[in-house]
Amino acid sequence: MRDDPTVVALVTRAAGSDPTAWKEIVDRYVPLVWSICARFQLGNSDREDVAQNVWLLLAEQLGKLREPAALPGWLATTTHRECLRVVTAARKTERLGTGLDDALQFVDNTIVDEEILMAERNAALRAAFAELPPRYQQLLAMLAKDPPVSYAEISATLQIPVGSIGPQRARCLERLRKSRALAALSEGEVDVNWAGGERRA
Amino acid sequence: MHDDEELLTALGEAIRAREAVPEWFVETGKNAYAWHNIDAELAQLTYDSDSDGDAAAVVRSEAASIRALTFTSAQLSIKLEVGDGLLLGQIIPPQAWTLEVHTRAGVASSPVDEIGCFAVDPIPNSPFRLRCRAEDGTDVLTVWITL
Repeated sequence: MRDDPTVVALVTRAAGSDPTAWKEIVDRYVPLVWSICARFQLGNSDREDVAQNVWLLLAEQLGKLREPAALPGWLATTTHRECLRVVTAARKTERLGTGLDDALQFVDNTIVDEEILMAERNAALRAAFAELPPRYQQLLAMLAKDPPVSYAEISATLQIPVGSIGPQRARCLERLRKSRALAALSEGEVDVNWAGGERRA
Repeated sequence: MHDDEELLTALGEAIRAREAVPEWFVETGKNAYAWHNIDAELAQLTYDSDSDGDAAAVVRSEAASIRALTFTSAQLSIKLEVGDGLLLGQIIPPQAWTLEVHTRAGVASSPVDEIGCFAVDPIPNSPFRLRCRAEDGTDVLTVWITL
């Protein structure tokens, strides 16, 4: 993942003056920032505070990132630090425990590493999904729902025979797997195992 | 087929992870780019009495609700004290500073006296940042501050 060309290109463009690239960066990684805030159980105003500082720092340091491809890691670390700051301040004010000690319960490097890998994988999956033709997207979106949508309902909504959903599903997934975004993911250091985890290659 | 199952599950998770993020949170990120081309040096929060064990205890025992913050950049530091409905600050070193208080609603300026002291009134009730400029071209902006 270190050399994901998409991320490097986005960072380079945003470091110039390309607001579209910036929006794409935010779209890709905003779930990572959000999920870390959620793990820290922050309220909405604290989440806004954290988000503001994280994205602001990024906007200002875009051109100075030593390793643009490591952007997800940078975002995770920065979000983590900002969350710790907010939690520590809040605990102090409420005089709950010693602040930092309490806040440290949220720190677990293994979890952070997993969050980063997950964010990279999810971003690649969404990018791959966005490259698909609209009809493929519709079908996959319905098939990927939790709880699952029945074939009968899919058939009625998308006007396709129940019998052809299976074969179409296979074609859509094949196309998804071969997309540029997912190819970049699997060529990297991380060997993706679709069961939900990754192993280092 | 088994692989397809896993890919589909992973895709579902990826889509839902993005859908779980509220729009205002996304907007906060997108809007931050407005600051991208501002050629100001960033002052980081280097001290917060609320986050500091010993110092906080001392401050609290002396005056119930004073919170002290320090922001530092290579060129200056800004000390803030909040309490009793007042937000007071000092820019070090002192010089003829122009001080702006930026909130999402807009920008207001505050006078700075000859020893670098200033007051922000009213205290912003949403995140804000301070921008200090001087004739010599010094231009420093703090990170966002929430009191």
